[in-house]
Amino acid sequence: MSGRIRIDGVSIPFADGQTVMQAAEDAGVHIPHLCYHPDYAANGSCKLCTVAIDGWQTSSCTTKAVDGMVIESNTEELNSERRALTQMLFVEGNHHCPSCEASGNCKLQNQAYRLGMTALIFPDFTAGRATDATHPDILLNRDRCIYCELCVRASREADGKDIFCITGRSENKSLAINSDSGTLADSGLQVEDAAANVCPVGAIIKKRQGFRKPIGQRDYDERRVHHNKVRLPNLPKLDKAPGEKVSVATCSLAGCFGCHMSFLDIDERIIELTQRISFDRSPLNDIKHISGPVDIGLVEGGVCNTENIETLREFRDNCQVLIAVGACAMDGGVPALRNHLDVRDLLEESYINGRGIDSPQIPVDRELPYILEEVSPIHEVVKVDFFLPGCPPPAEAFWLILTDILDGRQPDLPYDLLRFD
Amino acid sequence: MSTENSSVAEEQLVKYRREPGMVLQMLRGIQLAQNFIGPGDIETLARSLNLPTTKIRALIDFYSFLHDQPRGRYAVYFSDSITDHMLGSRERAQQLCRALGVQLGKPDEKGLVTVALTSCTGLCERGPAVLVNGIAIDRIDEQRVTEMAGLIRQQVPLGDWPLEWFVINDALRRKGPLLDNDLRKGEAIERAIEIGSQQVIAELQASGLRGCGGAGFPTWRKWDICRGTSTEQRYVVCNADEGEPGTFKDRALLNTYSRHVFDGMTVCGVTVGASKGFIYLRHEYEFLREQLERRLQRRREINLLGRNILGHHGINFDIEIIMGAGAYVCGEESALIESMEGKRGIPRIRPPFPVTHGYNGRPTVVNNVETFAYATGIVARGPGFVAHDGEDPCWKLLSIAGDCRSPGIYEIPLGTSIRDVCEMCGADDVQAIQVGGPGGILISADELDRKVSFDDLNTAGSFIIFDSSRDMLEVALNFTHFFKHESCGFCTPCRVGTKLMQAMVDKIANGHGARVDIEQMQRLHHLMTRASHCGLGQRAAVPILTTYEKFPDSINDRVGDVDFKPAFDVEAAIERSKQIVAEETRS
Repeated sequence: MSGRIRIDGVSIPFADGQTVMQAAEDAGVHIPHLCYHPDYAANGSCKLCTVAIDGWQTSSCTTKAVDGMVIESNTEELNSERRALTQMLFVEGNHHCPSCEASGNCKLQNQAYRLGMTALIFPDFTAGRATDATHPDILLNRDRCIYCELCVRASREADGKDIFCITGRSENKSLAINSDSGTLADSGLQVEDAAANVCPVGAIIKKRQGFRKPIGQRDYDERRVHHNKVRLPNLPKLDKAPGEKVSVATCSLAGCFGCHMSFLDIDERIIELTQRISFDRSPLNDIKHISGPVDIGLVEGGVCNTENIETLREFRDNCQVLIAVGACAMDGGVPALRNHLDVRDLLEESYINGRGIDSPQIPVDRELPYILEEVSPIHEVVKVDFFLPGCPPPAEAFWLILTDILDGRQPDLPYDLLRFD
Repeated sequence: MSTENSSVAEEQLVKYRREPGMVLQMLRGIQLAQNFIGPGDIETLARSLNLPTTKIRALIDFYSFLHDQPRGRYAVYFSDSITDHMLGSRERAQQLCRALGVQLGKPDEKGLVTVALTSCTGLCERGPAVLVNGIAIDRIDEQRVTEMAGLIRQQVPLGDWPLEWFVINDALRRKGPLLDNDLRKGEAIERAIEIGSQQVIAELQASGLRGCGGAGFPTWRKWDICRGTSTEQRYVVCNADEGEPGTFKDRALLNTYSRHVFDGMTVCGVTVGASKGFIYLRHEYEFLREQLERRLQRRREINLLGRNILGHHGINFDIEIIMGAGAYVCGEESALIESMEGKRGIPRIRPPFPVTHGYNGRPTVVNNVETFAYATGIVARGPGFVAHDGEDPCWKLLSIAGDCRSPGIYEIPLGTSIRDVCEMCGADDVQAIQVGGPGGILISADELDRKVSFDDLNTAGSFIIFDSSRDMLEVALNFTHFFKHESCGFCTPCRVGTKLMQAMVDKIANGHGARVDIEQMQRLHHLMTRASHCGLGQRAAVPILTTYEKFPDSINDRVGDVDFKPAFDVEAAIERSKQIVAEETRS
C-alpha cells in the first residue's frame, strides 16, 4: 500500500512497505535517529526517532506508514525527550569529545548539537569497559559504544560474517566479538567491511586515521551552516539596577586554563566589557579569593581534588549565577579519562615510574590536597545554573552569553558556536 | 583452550536432540548439574551446535541463573521480593552468610556454597523462600537457617535434606468455579471436538474471558486470529513465567489444577489448528517440573495427548515444557518466544504480534496459565461456567501476600471491591496495597472502594498489602531496584533510565535527596513511559512516583525543603587517597 502521510503538517508520499522513517528520509524530512540506517533492518533501540502518531508515541523506524497518518516529530516536547535520551547516552558511556577521534564526524555529537544539548544533567556512569586494540587496523573502544547494533547488523547483513554480538543485560550489556579469542584480532574483520565503517560514534575506529580531517572539514562541520540557531535553556536573571556594574569571578579547577585563553580571545571587546563588569577573584587579575557576593561565577575545569571542592563551594556560596564553562566542567573532560584507573596507579605513574623522575616518592605532605577517586563534573558537586560547552568555548560564545545576561536577553546560540570540542 | 568434550554438555545435547534452538535448555541443564557452565561445556555446545561461543556466553550473561563461574556445591538464592523482605529474608540471608563464613553474592573459596539474592521466587505467601540448587524451600526461619548451615557444612546431598522442607502447599483460601468444580479430565477436549472451533470461539466470546496475564486481551479474539492465519504450522504457548513479584497463583494452578491447564491448551490446539504446545515454566518453579512431566506422560498414555486424541482421527496435540533461566522480561510474550527459541529475551518489535508471527515465525497463541484453565471450564460447561451476579464478567485469581492474617489464593468475581478483598484475607490495618505487582498500581487506604477489574484495578494476580508500620519508600526502593536488575537493556530509555532512577531513589533513601531530584524523576518517568520499547521501561518509574503522589511524607520527610543536594560524598571520594597517604607515611 502506498499513499501519503503528514509529518508536522507537511504531506509526503510513501511507497509500499516503507516505514515512517524511510518515507521521511526519502522526502528530505529529518527525524533525529542514531540506530537507523537505510541499508539495514531497523533495530528500534535508540528511541531518538520516537514520534507521535495520531497521539501515540512510537519509533518511526519500526512503524509502517499507513495512508493518512498524522505524525508529529519536530515538537518541543519530543525534542526535549530526544535531548534527554542523548544526554543519557552521553553519561552512560565515556563521550569526551575533545579526546575522541570521531569528534566532528560523530552522529551522537551531531544530534546533541541539533537538539541544543548544552549540559549533562545526569550523573556520569564512568564506563570502564574493555578496549580491544588487538586488530592491526581497527580499534574497538567499548566505552564509546551506544548499543545501536549497527555493526552487528552490518556484519551479519552486508558482510555475511556475523562478527559482533550483544551480550548481558541492563547495565551489564556489552558488545562482544564472535571469534575464538573473543577479540578482533582473529575475527576476520577487515577495514573495508561495512561493519568497520558503520559505527555512528567513535567505538569502532580505524587506526592511524584519527584527526585526519581538520576542523572545519569534518562531516558535520560543513553541515553546520544549514542549521539555525540553537535554543538554549533559560538564562538566569540578575537582580541589578540598570547601569550598575556586574561583578564576575572566574577560576580554573582541573582544567588547562584554555577556556580563560579563549575568553581573552574576545580581544579588544574586553575593554567594552570591563565598562559593564568588574572582575572579582580571577586568574586574570590574580586575586586569590572571592571578596564577597558576586553576580556571575565562571568555572572552568572538573573537580579532581579537595582544593577544587573548596574553591567550587566558595564560588557557589558567593555567586548568584554559576556558569560551568568548557568540557571539563561539563563532563570531567580529558582529566576524567583517568576515572577508571586506581589512584595508586596514577600516583605511581606520576611520581615513581614516570620518565625523568629524580628521587621518586609519592608526596604525602599535609599541605597537599587529597586526590579524589574520580574527576567529577562540577554539577555533581554543586548546583550549576548554566552551561557553556566547548573545548574551549569559542570567544564569540563567551561574548554572546555574557552580553545576553547583561542585557537581560534569552540567548540563542548560533549553531556553529555550540561545540563540545 | 581445551578441546576435551564435556560429558555433562554431551548429555544435554542428547537430551535436546542437538537442536540449536534448545541451547538455553541445555545451558540450564548444565548449570543445574554442576552449578556453573565451564569453558569446556561452552565449547562442546558451540562445536556441536555450530554456534559462536560468544552467542552462548551472551545467554549466560543475560539469564540470572546461568553462571560461567563456579557457585560451589550449593547455590542458595534468597528471594529479594518485597514480601520476603517484610518476612525477614535479608536477615535470614545474612544469618546464613555468617553461619557459613561467606559474603552475600560471592562464591566461597572452598567451592562449597554461594549465598545470593534473587528476584521474587513466587512463594510470597509462605516466605521467606530460598532456592537451593534450583529447588524451592519456603518458610525460612532462624531455626531452619541454622539447620541448613549445618547440612551445607556437612555436605549432605540435597536429596537427604528434611523432606518436609520441600513440600510446597497451596493456600487456596477462597474457591470459585475454577478452584472448586467437578470437571472431568478431558471433558473440555471432548466437547471442543464435538462443537467445533467456531462454537468454541463463540462461547469464549460470550463468557467475556480476557487474558489473565495482565494485558486483558479478549481470549476468543486471539484464538480466532490465530485460527484464521493461512499456514499449516501453528503453536500454543502457556506462559508460566510467573515473574511479577507477588504473584503465585499460576504456581498453585500448575501444582493442583494442571489438568485444567493441559485441557485448556489442548482445547486451544484443537480450536486454532495447532499440534504442538509449550509450557514456558519459570526457572524458579523447577520443583514443579518433574510432576508436570509425569502428568503429561500419563495423558499421552490415556490418549489425551499425542496422535488421534480420544480416538478422533487427525486430531494431534502434544505439550513440551520449556524452562526459563531467570529473566522477568520473558513474561512479555514476544520476549518469551525469543527465549523459547534459545535467544536472549529481548521483546520483539510489534506489530507483528505473536498471534500471527510467533514461535519460529509461526502463528502462536500465548496465553497465561489461568486463562487456559478458565477456558477449560467455559468450553466444557459453556459460558455460564464463569457467570456471576456482578457487572464485570468472569472471575480472577488473586495472589494475596503481605500484611494480612490469611495470605494465599483467592478466587473472586471480577468487580469485587478492594474492601471486600481485605475483609476476606483479614487485612484490617491497611496503609497501602500494590495491585498488579511493581508494574501495577499502588493504592492507599482511601481507595478501598475501588474494584478489581480490567477497567479499574487490573492485575495479573499480584496483591500485596502493607500495614501502617511499613515505610513506603522502602517498598518503592525495592521495586525500583527490581526493574533496573530486570531491564533487558535493549532500549536507551529503559537501560539508562532504570539505572538513573535507582540512583535517585537511593539518593533520597540515603538522606541526600533534594527537590531537584523529585523533578528530575518526574521528567525521566515521563520520558520512560513514552519512549520505552516495552512495558518494563514504561512502568519502571511508576512505583516511586506513585509513592510520591500517594505517600508524599515518606519522601518529603527525607528531602525537606532543600532544592539541591549533591550525591557527591567527599569522604568516600578521598578514602583511597587517605589510605595511600597512610601507607606511604608508614613505609
